[in-house]
Amino acid sequence: MFHGSGLFAFLLMVLEWTRPGLSSPLRPICDLRVVDHFIKEAWDAEAALRACKDACSIATNFTVPLTRVDFDVWAAMNIEEQAQEVQSGIHVLNDAISSLQASNQTDVLQSHIDASINNIASIRQVLRSLSIPEYVPPTNVGEDKEMQKVSSISELFQVHINFLRGKVRLLVASAPVCHQGVS
Amino acid sequence: MAKMRSDRLKIVFVLCLAFVSIGGQHFESKVAQLLRDESEDIKCFVEVKDLTCFWEEERNSLPDQYTFTYSYENKIKDCVVSSLSLLASNKTVFFCKLPKTPFFTTLDVKVSRDRRMLYSRSLNAENFMFLDPPRNLTVLSSGKEGQLNVSWLPPLLKYMDDSMIYEVRYAEEGSNMGKVEVIKVSTMLVLLGLQSDTRYKVWVRVKPDGVAYKGYWSAWTEPVLGVTQPSELDPLIMLLVLFIGLILCLLSMTVILSHQKFLLKKLWPDIPTPERKFPGLFTVYKGDFKEWMSQNNSSMWGRSVHVFTEELPSPLEVLSEVSLSSHGTSQREERKPVEEDEEKESERSDSGLPDRWREPPQAHWLMEQLRTLQENPQPLSQSLLPQSHDTYVTLNQNSQGDGVREVDDVFEETLPLQTLFTTAGTPSLNTSHSDLGSLQQSSGSGRLSSQSSFEYPNHTWPPKGPGYAYMAVADSGVSMDYSPMSSSRIVELGRHRMYTNDYKNEIFLHKWPLSGEHTKSGSDFCMGPIW
Repeated sequence: MFHGSGLFAFLLMVLEWTRPGLSSPLRPICDLRVVDHFIKEAWDAEAALRACKDACSIATNFTVPLTRVDFDVWAAMNIEEQAQEVQSGIHVLNDAISSLQASNQTDVLQSHIDASINNIASIRQVLRSLSIPEYVPPTNVGEDKEMQKVSSISELFQVHINFLRGKVRLLVASAPVCHQGVS
Repeated sequence: MAKMRSDRLKIVFVLCLAFVSIGGQHFESKVAQLLRDESEDIKCFVEVKDLTCFWEEERNSLPDQYTFTYSYENKIKDCVVSSLSLLASNKTVFFCKLPKTPFFTTLDVKVSRDRRMLYSRSLNAENFMFLDPPRNLTVLSSGKEGQLNVSWLPPLLKYMDDSMIYEVRYAEEGSNMGKVEVIKVSTMLVLLGLQSDTRYKVWVRVKPDGVAYKGYWSAWTEPVLGVTQPSELDPLIMLLVLFIGLILCLLSMTVILSHQKFLLKKLWPDIPTPERKFPGLFTVYKGDFKEWMSQNNSSMWGRSVHVFTEELPSPLEVLSEVSLSSHGTSQREERKPVEEDEEKESERSDSGLPDRWREPPQAHWLMEQLRTLQENPQPLSQSLLPQSHDTYVTLNQNSQGDGVREVDDVFEETLPLQTLFTTAGTPSLNTSHSDLGSLQQSSGSGRLSSQSSFEYPNHTWPPKGPGYAYMAVADSGVSMDYSPMSSSRIVELGRHRMYTNDYKNEIFLHKWPLSGEHTKSGSDFCMGPIW
């Protein structure tokens, strides 16, 4: 009897940890204030690192997404294209910032790096709640088309804030889930 | 048909012109404002979706002389330069409007002339939004007092509806002092705390909230007037207030009238007069105390007893105690100076009275003592040279050589007074600060000599009896005039008021035989009842 209940509890714990099943659909987070909150945190990081130029420069280059938005061009894209652009950009940005975590940095910088990684993870959740298609790594090598290279940490965080303010926010603002009730 | 077409074309053309001019007006005003406020060489702003950058130059230059380039993401592009003349400020600017402005990326803008770079700037386009003012501003009076409902529409801009903040400015018509309210996202506001029945002017302007987009404050809208509601005095409330006020007034009047006397007494207290205690003195005898005394002394005795049973005994200070055996060996009665002996007053009590009553028979003995003192004044006065500086009056029992009196105590008591008043030449005691020893006891009659008063240290009167021959008297600052003609005069004695003429016989009557009673130290002079 005891063994049975103990095994059952253990099984529950394991299943909960691995989460093999599909998670329940999240409630759509349409309120832009959520995204604005992440943007404000990204502003803080960018402002802190704008001042840190010499101490924060490193030798290696980062591959980061392009942040440019042409409103006419953006309006002409459909939701899947927009989603793909945003998701791939987030993915690349996440890789770039995560690579900083490994190297030795100051405490201030480390806190901003951690905050940015957490923000990206939260934004991913927001996009998931809006039923935005997940990132699909492109099979061809043409991914460099939408990427650029930066050589300093301050530039990296500038890209981070510009990406959030632009493409991510526009995508969340125009998510079809949020406009279903509106004709 | 052709005429209709041409008419339509004209109309369209006019409308276009109007539209352009309106847009141009906005554009011009923005340019003019930035020309004033912005300090950069190249001033840029985004009007709707396009970035415009301009700079000021001399009048005689031509736009073709300039080259405007902008670069982003490793791409370089050109832009056509145009010129604009500002009529208001009589200035000429050259500007370039980027056709497809890239947002959320860094733009590097350069202006060159004749292949020589004049100005350059690096900026993000989304940080320089310069919006049009809000549209359709309406101000309506709400149903409540002192409130106005203000509402407006945001400027036409697709992606920024939810990231705008507004500033509402309102002021009374004709006044320049306005207040400002900031409101986020929402396009309506209720102004509170306004004066009723007043006309107000309201303006609104808009700006990006600074999170996703940043920019300049737009121009103020044209002012719109609104009138607040006039204040309504609810008649029921007015009536109730009046009614309650009336009731309160009546109540207070009733209270005041019923306690009129009491209140009057409290607010405007009567100045005490001694007439009550000296019946007939002022009315019948016109203040002639001597006459009054002589008329009343027989009846005073009985009456005064009752009087004194009611009152606290007046403070008297026993100056010294004269030993009954010999005047030279009188025990010193040490008394502290007047100022220190306040607590002696508490010793006054009616308990002394019974003592006094027991003592009358010893008055006779006292007279004897006084007589001896009279004969030998010198040593005693010397022995009693004071150490304090209080003035006091001693009452000498002046026998003038009279024999032992077997008379009433009353008479004996009155003797000093009588002698006092008979000697017209009696020096009045005018020592305000005691001149100790200067006035000495002499053989004169009816004299008042001043000696210092001493504290009686041990509260022990000589067991032989009340041997005090002197009465300590009040103190510094007192000017006492014992001339018989003086009417009652109030002498301010420190805190104590006294009537110099209030030489109430009854006091001495009861205090002469005092044993063990310590009256108040010399701060009081032979006082009558203190009112």
